[in-house]
Amino acid sequence: MPTRDLRWIQRIKPAVRAAWMLLSFAFFWMGAPQPRMQASGIGQHSEPVLANLDSGQSLSSISIDYPEDGSIFPPGITPPTFLWRDAAGIAWSIDISFADGTPGIHVQTQGVRMQIGAIDQDCISHTDDLPKLTLRQAATWTWTPDAATWAAIQSHSSGHSARVTITGYRGGQIPFSRASISLSTSIDPVDAPIFYRDVPLMPTKGVNGVVQPLAPSTIHLIHWRLRDIRKPESHTVLQNMPTCANCHSFSADGKTFGMDIDGPGNDKGLYAVVPVQKHMSIQSKDLVHWNVDGRVGQVRVGFMSQVSPDGRYVLSTFAGPALKLLDSYYVTNFMDYRFLQVFYPTRGILEWYSRATGVRQPLPGADDPQFVQTDGVWSPDGKYIIFARAEARDPRQPGQGPALRANDPNETPIQYDLYRIPFNDGKGGTPERIEGASQNGMSNNFPRVSPDGRWIVFVECHNGQLMRPDSLLFIVPFGGGAARRMRANTPLMNSWHSFSPNGHWMVFSSKARSPYTQMYLTHLDANGDDSPAILIDNATAANRAVNLPEFVNIDADGIQEIEVHVADDSK
Amino acid sequence: MDDMRNSGIFAAIRGTIRKTLKGRILMLRCASRLALLFWLTPGTLLSANSSSCVPLESMKASLLNGPTAATYSDLGVWFAGQKQYQCAADAFATSLRMEPDQKEAGNVAFMFGSSLYLSGDAKGAISAFSEAERRKLRSVKLHLMFAAAYDQLGWIGSAESEWRAALAQDWESSEALDGLSNDLIVDNDYAATIALLENPMISGQRTAEQSLNLGLAYAKMAKLEEAVKALRDGLNTSPDSLPLANELADLLVELGRSQEAITVLDLELAQHPGDPDTGFHYLQMLIGIDPGKAKEAGRRLLLAAPASWKLLYLNGVLEMQDGKLQQARDHLEKSVTLHPEFALSHDALGVVLAQLNDMRGAKEQLEKAIALGDDDAEVKDNLSRVLRVLGEAQ
Repeated sequence: MPTRDLRWIQRIKPAVRAAWMLLSFAFFWMGAPQPRMQASGIGQHSEPVLANLDSGQSLSSISIDYPEDGSIFPPGITPPTFLWRDAAGIAWSIDISFADGTPGIHVQTQGVRMQIGAIDQDCISHTDDLPKLTLRQAATWTWTPDAATWAAIQSHSSGHSARVTITGYRGGQIPFSRASISLSTSIDPVDAPIFYRDVPLMPTKGVNGVVQPLAPSTIHLIHWRLRDIRKPESHTVLQNMPTCANCHSFSADGKTFGMDIDGPGNDKGLYAVVPVQKHMSIQSKDLVHWNVDGRVGQVRVGFMSQVSPDGRYVLSTFAGPALKLLDSYYVTNFMDYRFLQVFYPTRGILEWYSRATGVRQPLPGADDPQFVQTDGVWSPDGKYIIFARAEARDPRQPGQGPALRANDPNETPIQYDLYRIPFNDGKGGTPERIEGASQNGMSNNFPRVSPDGRWIVFVECHNGQLMRPDSLLFIVPFGGGAARRMRANTPLMNSWHSFSPNGHWMVFSSKARSPYTQMYLTHLDANGDDSPAILIDNATAANRAVNLPEFVNIDADGIQEIEVHVADDSK
Repeated sequence: MDDMRNSGIFAAIRGTIRKTLKGRILMLRCASRLALLFWLTPGTLLSANSSSCVPLESMKASLLNGPTAATYSDLGVWFAGQKQYQCAADAFATSLRMEPDQKEAGNVAFMFGSSLYLSGDAKGAISAFSEAERRKLRSVKLHLMFAAAYDQLGWIGSAESEWRAALAQDWESSEALDGLSNDLIVDNDYAATIALLENPMISGQRTAEQSLNLGLAYAKMAKLEEAVKALRDGLNTSPDSLPLANELADLLVELGRSQEAITVLDLELAQHPGDPDTGFHYLQMLIGIDPGKAKEAGRRLLLAAPASWKLLYLNGVLEMQDGKLQQARDHLEKSVTLHPEFALSHDALGVVLAQLNDMRGAKEQLEKAIALGDDDAEVKDNLSRVLRVLGEAQ
């Protein structure tokens, strides 16, 4: 029988994707008998078999995790560490091409695995895990340009983008994988150092079973530091405090500094206000005693205090008449160091304190006991106060179960809206709700106004405020409008933001890379459009957290040290 | 009973939970219960009878001289450490019988249940876990074990509740995220799968299993580019994951990006040079995309794995297509010798023999193919034509 008589045997079938099968059974085979397969196999390969990739064959895609495409770096920042994951390459070339016509930079690297940074041995406890690489990080390769290479990259990417292409190889000249991103260097300098608190995450459980974020015996491990982003390390300006100090605030002109300080007998009613100098000293005479004020409030709940732009006033949240701390705050601490505290006010009013008169008084329009009014911040001209408001409620309801973790459904629900009110020399006015930052089914909080007064950047989260895993940064026009989710947001916790004095940069905190919070920068243009997050490297040890970063309108070395003599005085 | 011992036994079963889950998914995907058994380690299936439960020499004295409930609990922990799970279960059961209200009854019940689970008795395990819960044991591990046992029984709804309960206590639990996403996929709840796995809080910890499920969920929702992105990202984190590579390659073919698919499989072949399925999948895909390259690759793969009946089959068919009928015959005959239950090898061999004018042989092979369940109409057509040539047509 002639062969052609059997051509009817040949089968033509379309490709079929059998998603649930480990093996696919049918495929397109034009004009030929079709091999089919239905069973999983038992065959053995004894040697590697790899068909080399042709030059025309598609390359595998590398995942470049940092910097993200479109990143804008501040001029002079220390060299970043590039991060990528690649299923194909075992060695890489990195090519940077420039739009200014300058010849590109070509680097070859074997790649270095991502590693955990230095550990502070004093901050190791049984309640916190030492930092660990995530699965993704463990698969990450790194490259850090040397200072000269980075300087060249910055120089030629100033104001226009450079293209960074990473190509993977498997021991030869044939590329197997590739990806590229663009980055640029801003022409806008940062022009100010960042002041921040550097804390261990060591929750403890007392003999009574009450969890504290930090044991009294370890409070001295908290540091306050100043960072010039052009320098590879931060400068510690305050450490070994015998007592706890909390939120800090600088006036917009950089001349006045305020900070919550705990006094004797766990008196949380002290607030220090001092002039900013290279060598600062906080003494008893610099303290404001909220609790002896006698006019308003029985117990200090001086929460999120803010020094006015000109340093004349301090704005803060207080419990209001006849209310105590426990009646006005939802507070739960956890032994899980990653998100070890939930803390937000459920009652409170805004009050302002005059440094000249020593008098503190409610701010009309933000003093309604039917609401909790908190997070008050000044507009740059000092004429307006932006604050968060919600219907007041008891911190805990009868029968309410304990929250076991951050964002536990058992947390007391509260969602704040942002409002604006004129300061009006302390006479206040009628609060106006800020459209875009209110009544959106989310909790809108922690507002900060840009130095040019055009924008408000605030946090959205599902419930409460502060250290929320789901917190995201949004930007809205000062007068209200459509809020935009910021490009710089990272996957995990975005908050504690602060504008640089020139308004071109914003620093914020995130737990994207580690439960030990780190700080990041983003660039803002005239339209309020921001850029992907830029990590400020080496701000602290890998097992310490950066919090409350705040730009200070001073020279990079404007503060050398802060001495606190208050505790000594109080003994 | 201290928590360390509890942790020890849990560590021993942790890997098996994963294997079991993997097995269950495989089972559901292949609609074959045997696949589950394939993925379970033999140790988890063997039920040791009491005669093989030989305790450690140093424990024998305690057992002979007035053993207490604690003695049997210690013994159970030891057996579990030896992977003698039925023996461990017996020991824990004895401990609970001797002293039902012992201080650590909840923990012992948990370990009893875990041992039962690992010895293949999921229903018994669930009873024991319920007892542990009744005795106020509160632990992520309890939820994980409950869920694994429910899954093994196919009680997906109950399993999902337990995975979620585990996640409520530990939002990073990879076991719970793997398990819950597997169940959601099985439930065809792709939106929930995506919501679960796109949670930014866990994105850095996404396992290969989770990336696979995320990719599958996107693909099922016809979001193919997102599926590719999820699978690619997962593969860059877990380069040695064959399921991820295979799924990504399939998806790329579906998107018409065949060369990318080949690249993915090329790399997987380099990662798993000894894996027969990878070689087969690679060749199978290459045949559909680049038959010329497939022939060369098929030869090289066969050189590396001359005893792979699947590669013999594919090479045979490629050679048949190329008109190299004698070579095709040799390879297909070897393939059917190595794996006679595979109908398609018989089918292809029948076609080759017919082309070689061996109509008797062709008849025999085509009939075997049909007998083995190949109900393709074309096989029957082929057979009837061969029979006609032989003059045996009805």
